[in-house]
Amino acid sequence: MLLTRVKVYVSKVIDAPVAGVWALLRDFNGLPDFHPFFTVSEIEGGLRADTVGCVRAFRNTAGDLIRERLLTLCDLARQQTYCILEVENLPVHDYVAGFRLHPVTEGDATFAEWWAQFDCAPADEAELRPRIASVFQTAFDQAQARLGGTT
Amino acid sequence: MAKVHVSAVISAPIDRAWATIRNFDGLPGWLPVVRESRMEGGKLADQVGAIRALRMHDGGLVRETLLALSDLEHSLTYDIFEAPMAVVGYHATIQLRPVTDGDQTFFTWAAEFATDPPEAEAETVAFVTGVFRDGVASLKRQFGGR
Repeated sequence: MLLTRVKVYVSKVIDAPVAGVWALLRDFNGLPDFHPFFTVSEIEGGLRADTVGCVRAFRNTAGDLIRERLLTLCDLARQQTYCILEVENLPVHDYVAGFRLHPVTEGDATFAEWWAQFDCAPADEAELRPRIASVFQTAFDQAQARLGGTT
Repeated sequence: MAKVHVSAVISAPIDRAWATIRNFDGLPGWLPVVRESRMEGGKLADQVGAIRALRMHDGGLVRETLLALSDLEHSLTYDIFEAPMAVVGYHATIQLRPVTDGDQTFFTWAAEFATDPPEAEAETVAFVTGVFRDGVASLKRQFGGR
């Protein structure tokens, strides 16, 4: 079957200093703490969540298991990348994703961007794009809700 | 090596903001410190390697080389090789990124340089930071910003 390479990109300005947003999003084992799509998470093999190469096994609210490996953790660029090793009910292949936080110096806010690249069957692209984008958008919306001001 | 980094959110879609930033001969349109710009040797403003000669409002001359221009990354990199400022090895990059949640643009301007004499560093950093911040304020006036 011929697969198509897809890139999804979501970005948002969060009205909070970058250090606070990074503190919320940095924990590779922390998705269920702030993201309503996910329920439980654990790091396999007793590793710590900031060990590059560690694997998180977590579940969404539908109960689907997702296993992802941490590929990059950078406290300088405030960046994290990871890949999917195994996932239930998500027809993607060679899925790599990551987010990066940038300080907005004129305003003390954060510019946050989250991207994913993956292969999928062309017929699945239209459904996968908004589904994956909404995961990233919701993460940033939660950061805004928890850390942002009145906006 | 001194670094200056200024970033801001501009209330315009990235294509509109990029049309302004991309023009290597267009600084007088948005950077308050610059009075005139001229491309040297009849080169186009989007020819990598081209030189712009900038005349400042205080009369100073600054000459800069376009080192990189990317319509994919929405980024522009240049150096300064002649200036009244005491900078050595100055290069800087402007990059735009789309804000998908709001159809705005995230703007970053980052420079690295040394100074001769080294004691001029703090003063030069303050000056360059002021120039960049004035540019950002000007872009926000033109396009709107938050």
